[in-house]
Amino acid sequence: MDEKNLENKNDLFGFASFDKYESEHIAAPQYSYWKSVWRTFVKNKFTVAVAILMLVLVLFALIQPSISGYDPLIAPNVNNAEMRFIKPCAEHIFGTDNLGNEVFDVVWAGARNSIIISFVCTFITMFIGVVVGAIWGFSKSMDKWMLEIYNIVSNVPFLLLAMILSYVLGAGMGTLIFVMCVTEWVFVAFFIRTQVMIIRDREYNLASKCLGTSTWTMIKNNILPYLISVIMTYVSRMIPSLISYEVFLSYMGLGLGVTKASLGRMISIYTSYMNGYPHLFWIPVTVLAVLSISLYIVGQRLADAADPRTHM
Amino acid sequence: MSTEDREVILSIKHVDVTFETGHKKKLRAVKDANFDIYKGETFALVGESGSGKTTLGRAIMRINPCSAGEILFEGKRISGKISREEDRNVVRNIQMIFQDPAASLNERATIEYCVSEGLYNFHLYKDENERIEKVDRALESVGLLPEHKSRYPHEFSGGQRQRVGIARAMIMDPKFIVADEPISALDVSIRAQVLNLMNKLKAERNLTYLFIAHDLSVVRFIADRIAVIHLGEIVEIAESETLFKYPMHPYTVSLLSAVPMPDPIVEKTRHHIVYDPSKLEQTDEQRELREVRPGHFVFCTNNEFTRYREKMDRMEQEIG
Repeated sequence: MDEKNLENKNDLFGFASFDKYESEHIAAPQYSYWKSVWRTFVKNKFTVAVAILMLVLVLFALIQPSISGYDPLIAPNVNNAEMRFIKPCAEHIFGTDNLGNEVFDVVWAGARNSIIISFVCTFITMFIGVVVGAIWGFSKSMDKWMLEIYNIVSNVPFLLLAMILSYVLGAGMGTLIFVMCVTEWVFVAFFIRTQVMIIRDREYNLASKCLGTSTWTMIKNNILPYLISVIMTYVSRMIPSLISYEVFLSYMGLGLGVTKASLGRMISIYTSYMNGYPHLFWIPVTVLAVLSISLYIVGQRLADAADPRTHM
Repeated sequence: MSTEDREVILSIKHVDVTFETGHKKKLRAVKDANFDIYKGETFALVGESGSGKTTLGRAIMRINPCSAGEILFEGKRISGKISREEDRNVVRNIQMIFQDPAASLNERATIEYCVSEGLYNFHLYKDENERIEKVDRALESVGLLPEHKSRYPHEFSGGQRQRVGIARAMIMDPKFIVADEPISALDVSIRAQVLNLMNKLKAERNLTYLFIAHDLSVVRFIADRIAVIHLGEIVEIAESETLFKYPMHPYTVSLLSAVPMPDPIVEKTRHHIVYDPSKLEQTDEQRELREVRPGHFVFCTNNEFTRYREKMDRMEQEIG
């Protein structure tokens, strides 16, 4: 290589400047937990379809009875024999029953009460259960006596308790809600306690402890965000099962009084017309089943979407 | 440097940590640990897995309670039950850097929350602006950017996460830091980065480190003094170079012989010394830490002590 070329080379090369913070930059777009939950949830077409179905059913059940004005104590067509036992047709979508009432109205009025009861009960039991369970999981001294309470409560037959309470307090919506909440929260609390114990001693919680974080802040910021998905799974199982409970208790005659429309009582009355008019039995049962299943599926899919492992 | 005239920041006095392993079975994870850490030094605790080094570190952080003895910080007892005020004082002044940066950050919280958690707990800010400014400064001091505040831990690399862990500890302005194997979960290529950062922060903020590790080559690089722990017993304490030059206790000798050398020829011909406790003097006499040379302690009996002193004289003559 001759001199001239070397000189050129010196001109050609220079020191490249670099920014040492450039390598620290994260190019990926901002992560947002709830946005990712939403994106995962709507990704599946089936889930979206079921969610729409569920929303329509729930809204319909909540709104329709106030339009139809159905009241189980008033049977306007009770003396009109022509209006009884009409099979489903264009004019009477779900047909009419033994009292000449529109089954369509009766079903939605019953469904509304079932939905309200199950939503209220789920909210109360989950709220009490999660708060108590979270503290229970942290406190060793509380664990001793809470376990005894759990053992006692979980061994009391639920039906027996429901029967006694509804006889003592009298049938009604308030009683039914109380009956379903009074023991259920203990099971939720026990479930949450176990979950809390699993993640309580993880290293990031020790780190928080070393930073002087109080137990309550730790529950709020370190424990509960990790439990969103398991809590949602629990809720998605609980809502349909409480609807069934309500129906079952009303079917047994322990639930709502005669003044309130109830799917359970309806089914129990309509069972006797099973041979002649099977639609009376099958329509409320089908509505109940579709409602429960859609609530369950939506809950499950939401719970899955709430698990950040599905976000990647 | 003589050790007498230096200020003791943390003093561990005959500390035992015991775990219950099943019914009436007990495991003494740390046995009669007894040493002082001086202000401004990096004190390393080395030992193999299960030797109790992390347990001792956690006893200082008061995660594991001491079953005997006491730990003094700046002359005040911090083990056992202490008042709420002192507890807050200790939390502010003693912080920890954890081993696994992936496990020690809350995955559901943003970096902003992770770093300002301590600030929230002690309300160390006047208003939101000051808090954010403090977080920015803490992130900057560990080489991270203010834009990282809104990110979640899983978006970071291992080294970045560990630096978030360091920022979280540093924002409290502590005097003493327990670093529990801060680099052993990191990739080899970024270990030096984190170690240099720790050294830089130490110089800037006049910190004292208790550096827990099992990697002796790292310890040699960072530590001023080293304590070797074996099965819960501190077997030797010495200044870093002295320990590498004149290892006295057979366990230390064996541990040093296991340090890998980056030279295949040396590695092939190397003689690894296996530690055999049965070769120690068999006696009922209680062993204790005895000072062979000023500042150089070895866990031994009286007879062994005489032998170690002779060995020390011989080695000093040989090496010069």
